[in-house]
Amino acid sequence: MAGRVDISVEFGGVRLGNPVVTASGTCGYADELGEFMDLRRLGGFVTKSITARPRKGNPTPRIVETDSGMLNAIGLANIGLERFVEEKVPVLAGLGIPVFVNVAGETIEQYAAVVERLAGEGAIAGFELNISCPNVKKGGITFGTEAGLVKEITAAVKAACGGKMLMVKLTPNVTDISVTARAAIEAGADALSLVNTFTAMVIDIEQRKPVLANRTGGLSGPAIRPIAVYLVSKVYREVAKDAGVPIMGMGGIMTASDAIEFMIAGASAVGIGTASFVRPDCAVRVVEGIESYCERHGIGNIKDLIGSLEAG
Amino acid sequence: MADNGTSSGKGQFDAAVRENRLIGERFYKLKLEFFGEGAEAFEGFRPGQFAQVDISGTALPPADSIPDELRDSAGRDVLLRRPFSFTDVTSDRGRTWAELLYCVVGPSTLRMTTLQAGDSLSVIGPLGNGFWVPEGKKTALLVAGGMGSPPVQCLAKMLAKDYPEITPTAFAGAKRAGDLPFEGRMDEVSREIGFVLKEFGRHGIESIVATDDGSAGFKGLVTDCMVQWLTGNSAPRKEMIIYACGPEAMLAKAAAIARERGIDCQVSMERRMACGTGICQSCAVECRVEGSSETVYKLCCKDGPVFDAREVVFSDRE
Repeated sequence: MAGRVDISVEFGGVRLGNPVVTASGTCGYADELGEFMDLRRLGGFVTKSITARPRKGNPTPRIVETDSGMLNAIGLANIGLERFVEEKVPVLAGLGIPVFVNVAGETIEQYAAVVERLAGEGAIAGFELNISCPNVKKGGITFGTEAGLVKEITAAVKAACGGKMLMVKLTPNVTDISVTARAAIEAGADALSLVNTFTAMVIDIEQRKPVLANRTGGLSGPAIRPIAVYLVSKVYREVAKDAGVPIMGMGGIMTASDAIEFMIAGASAVGIGTASFVRPDCAVRVVEGIESYCERHGIGNIKDLIGSLEAG
Repeated sequence: MADNGTSSGKGQFDAAVRENRLIGERFYKLKLEFFGEGAEAFEGFRPGQFAQVDISGTALPPADSIPDELRDSAGRDVLLRRPFSFTDVTSDRGRTWAELLYCVVGPSTLRMTTLQAGDSLSVIGPLGNGFWVPEGKKTALLVAGGMGSPPVQCLAKMLAKDYPEITPTAFAGAKRAGDLPFEGRMDEVSREIGFVLKEFGRHGIESIVATDDGSAGFKGLVTDCMVQWLTGNSAPRKEMIIYACGPEAMLAKAAAIARERGIDCQVSMERRMACGTGICQSCAVECRVEGSSETVYKLCCKDGPVFDAREVVFSDRE
């Protein structure tokens, strides 16, 4: 099967064996999904968000299911940089695929400090800048929605990367996502990932209260997929294609067909998120499905698929 | 013999539906069969552990058989798996059967009513940590509130089988008779302790039923019923243990009763969860840290669902 079709991609200076990557926050720190699939079959791994200090996260309820989707407001609960370095980085080193650490913080200095500490770790291929988590007060979302701040934080973190790849994760909660995409690229982003979740609310009509303790949460899952496909297509067309900056597309991918839509829209890689909660081996199935799609359509090199959307 | 209530070898398996039987107003018993690696994994299932069942591909029943109160929400799309504990797990020569007791409360459990013998379901498990048995226990109080009964039923069997030195007594509570997830006419059961519920009686375990409205058994909270029993029982508190599963308010009361009397208590917690495997971090349970006023969030799916009651900061939000 493999061999006839080249599904490897160049992604911001990192070569991925295939375009399928785990989306941050849905696959743990390292090998948690290893019991359900062979992680080496993935194109890459993106960790959950790491912050300088450990974070307890939000009170519960932290999630609620909606039609074809779910809202989460975890609040970036994580073990913090030091424990991550001690306990998880050695595990990541053994994964055998490119690893990208998702980094979050409350100030530019915190982001830069985390990246600086991790830049020397050989196991880490690059970073994903989370400036778009909608569930943290004073946190990422303010960075991600203002082009000036996107530029500032991207430049500061890029300078701390030690030459490693930096991908900026964009929020869809803006008027024009191309504006923030452009800001990230101008400040030195090697790649973009989009989209993060949409700020949303579910109300308990018996109590007339929001279901989530955080009141609002980020909507993910198949419900957002057509919007995410549109936004990837828009950023690709308006900004990324000409700049030569690759996109990691994500938002509700459950199947290989979903992933292929994102690639036709302009994504060089795709992130599997919410689907992993339901089918922990989903990412591997998507890899297999992309391969057979390419074979079926006589595509010898997957690069021919990326951004191949017809004018229609 | 003490054990820690865990098992190894979780995975994603296909299970075959063997039976799906209505046992009360809204309660069903679903019998699943596992084969091969799945049979092996679930043979190690411990009472209080759980499994994540994918219902997303299961059909809705015909419109005229949907209860009025669910009509509005019945068509809601199901994305996430649903966590269930089992009432009973048995194994024989490479095959394992698990019995899942469910109550029709929403779009997923409504869909489950259409499952038929021969259907296949994707099941992830066994997940989490079950009940454990500390050394030196001779009396166990099994406290089940409403749909908290499945893991308690499973535990009853294990205690009867593996711990002859322990005498369990079961306390089953609900708002009203129709909310008791047991077979038989609940409105006709005795108010006294005895072989009231056959789910416990078959293991030689006495039980008593309590309902808030008195429509079955003792009138009042199941925890009040338990206090009454404790008042009339002089066995050393150190040799007792309370195992509880049910609504959080009930667990909080059971924990308080246990603490006041110096009785060990384990509670099986419930939280909204997406993955069930410790990744999504949704199912946080606030826990005390020994020797500190700070609390931490542990995960219901991975650190629990069974916790030592002293550890848990009970919440009124879930």
